[in-house]
Amino acid sequence: MGHQISRRTLFRTASGMAAAAAIGGSLSACAGGTGAGTTSDKLTMTWWGSDDRHNAYKKALGTFQKSNSKIKIEERYSGYDGYFDKFNTQVAGGSAPDLLQMDTALVAQYARKGVIAPLDEYVGKSLDLTGFSKTLLAAGTVDGKLYGVPSGIGVNVLTANISGIKKLGLDEPDREWTWADLKAFAVKVNKASGGKMFGVDDGGGGTLQAFEVFAREKGQPFFSTDGTKLGFTSDTLQEWWEYWAEMRKDKASPGAAITSAAHNDLTKNGVVIGKTLLTFDSGVYGAGGAITDATLDFLPTPQGQWSGAREGNFVNGGVLLSATKASKHIADSVKIMSFFAQDKTAIKDMQLLRGIPPTEKARSIVSPDLSDTDKKSMDVADYISKRVGKATDALPAPAAPPKGADQIWDLLFQSNLAIAFGKKTIKAQLGQFFDQAQSILSQ
Amino acid sequence: MSMTTTETDEVVKESTAPRTPSDQRERERLRRRAARRRGGGWWPYLFLAPWFVGLFGLTIYPMLDSLYLSFTDFDLLSPAKWVGADNYRRMFTDDPNFWDSVHATLVYVVVSVPLKLALALAVAMLLNRPLRGIGIYRAAFYLPSLLGGAVAIAIMWRQIFGGDGLFNDFLGWFGIKGQDWISSPDTSIYTLVLLAVWQFGTPMVIFLAGLKQLPKDVYEAAAIDGAGAMTRFSRITLPLLTPIVFFNVVLQIIDAFKSFTPAYVISNGTGGPLNSTMLYSLYLYKKGFTDLQMGYASALAWVLFLVIAGFTAVNFIAGRYWVHYDD
Repeated sequence: MGHQISRRTLFRTASGMAAAAAIGGSLSACAGGTGAGTTSDKLTMTWWGSDDRHNAYKKALGTFQKSNSKIKIEERYSGYDGYFDKFNTQVAGGSAPDLLQMDTALVAQYARKGVIAPLDEYVGKSLDLTGFSKTLLAAGTVDGKLYGVPSGIGVNVLTANISGIKKLGLDEPDREWTWADLKAFAVKVNKASGGKMFGVDDGGGGTLQAFEVFAREKGQPFFSTDGTKLGFTSDTLQEWWEYWAEMRKDKASPGAAITSAAHNDLTKNGVVIGKTLLTFDSGVYGAGGAITDATLDFLPTPQGQWSGAREGNFVNGGVLLSATKASKHIADSVKIMSFFAQDKTAIKDMQLLRGIPPTEKARSIVSPDLSDTDKKSMDVADYISKRVGKATDALPAPAAPPKGADQIWDLLFQSNLAIAFGKKTIKAQLGQFFDQAQSILSQ
Repeated sequence: MSMTTTETDEVVKESTAPRTPSDQRERERLRRRAARRRGGGWWPYLFLAPWFVGLFGLTIYPMLDSLYLSFTDFDLLSPAKWVGADNYRRMFTDDPNFWDSVHATLVYVVVSVPLKLALALAVAMLLNRPLRGIGIYRAAFYLPSLLGGAVAIAIMWRQIFGGDGLFNDFLGWFGIKGQDWISSPDTSIYTLVLLAVWQFGTPMVIFLAGLKQLPKDVYEAAAIDGAGAMTRFSRITLPLLTPIVFFNVVLQIIDAFKSFTPAYVISNGTGGPLNSTMLYSLYLYKKGFTDLQMGYASALAWVLFLVIAGFTAVNFIAGRYWVHYDD
């Protein structure tokens, strides 16, 4: 007679084992990395973007390989979501790509951690940067060294639904406009549409096209030059949030629910769903092709109407191409960078898919084939960079943002949303914002 | 020495006498124990080896590694720096997002688990009767569990409960103007709860198996004594089923604590609005892979591990008082 297993023992054991297995999974699922290294002699190149951008890259790389058949390129591409999560994991696992499209907002982090390689020794030799302005190259420069080749000029713009504006019988705002003009226009949109539409989406939580420009107009950068502190004052942020609270109250901007739904989801953007006529989200036109049928135009971020307001707009570098430091193919990667910077067919293939082309020569190559909207986009970029170039009171272009910057941008968005939902007062949120931001920056 | 001799003598002496059955059993037992002590060869371990490799390589080692990392500042890209208990201190004293995620997770666990189990039991009882085509019904009710973890379902959920989604269309038939359930911080967590409850298939199947095992004679006796359906449920079905209920409660609580995919997809990876869907695992993932604070994320993982282990221990202890085993 063997040992009789009782029902009790059986169930308890089964429950216990299942529980142990389930709990253990919570830990082991999160730890460890893959040890796989790069084994092939192929050069791996990664980028993020739209389908149009993928196709343009592939076409241009095809041309490159015709004259460089020895370099074998493996292309990996995806959307922006998760792109850097994956890159981080690959770097940790020793299987990082050789050449990658880099975000100007992140280049400083990766450069300082020694993940990407400085390119200065190649400049003027295999890396031809003829026609790139100094301000443009600043976007890829960290601590005095070049870590990425800018793909083009990026400027801060609002995207406007022109057909919608005309339908309401309104005039498109002038490029030389102020925050007060924006408000007046947005209120008019709400009135003219019988309360159905709002003028502009809620920019109170937006950094790049919105608050950063506003702070610069006050003469304050978003981050201090050394990147250890916030560069703006509590008063500036308070004035900004009060402006947007008024915008929401006057129905010039939509309420919190619409703002919240559009966060990280372009298909819910106010201009796309027809709820607003202006948006701070450049992704609506973004990397090639709009996701709305409306006729679009672009406007510079408004200027300050107060006395002593400074030029707040600035020019940055679109996206960058960078090489990883551990790569064995850096020289080949540099050749590809140079090809994208100067080769006629590559420039033609890319059009405006990576921002407005960086050099005068490149712009003249693409302009004949551009769509009307692309032409407007290039035109306003040209307008802004000329105005910024002439301005004597503008702060220098922002340095590459410090580590933790993306957390602070998210904090700005969440704080404005909490105010909009009525969960927090502006005063209470101000204190919390500065506390948390400082804690993030000191980590 | 002398002892042994005596013993041998005794054995020899005894061998002439008829053996009692108890002696024989004793001898058999001793021989088996000796064989066990010799180990029975190495080959059992060979068969177990693949499992051991998995256990040590994929579970134990990563767990210990993450325990070490939880005391470091590690960004994946540069070597880990030892910071002592700093991550744990920061978590409890200097990270409001952590408390938001704890809050969201507790609401999720406390609301979704009882609802899900109640629904699973109710449906299991409906399906535990001889009906034509009962197999099809069972499969149909189980289906959501198979689909549930899928990203596609979470995306569909976002569409259904969005501002212009199916659910608001439905409310519209009754003249009710619904809001955007996903993007309001007061309701978004409940769309996740609903998604969890909808996936009641796994506990349902287990309940069904338990119900099928219940002895029929008890019900017959109760029916003869005039017990109604409610009495039979509360006095017979539920008490006899407590081991199964216990099993489901334990597993569902653990699962709910670890839930990740729906929150990630429905909130677009943000845990928003206002951290209202920032389930713990999602926060852990964001800290680790987006903010590159792997040390902090490891500390979060260990706190989760301890909390789940604590909940499970409490369950097992409390179970002594309400789980009835039919020994």
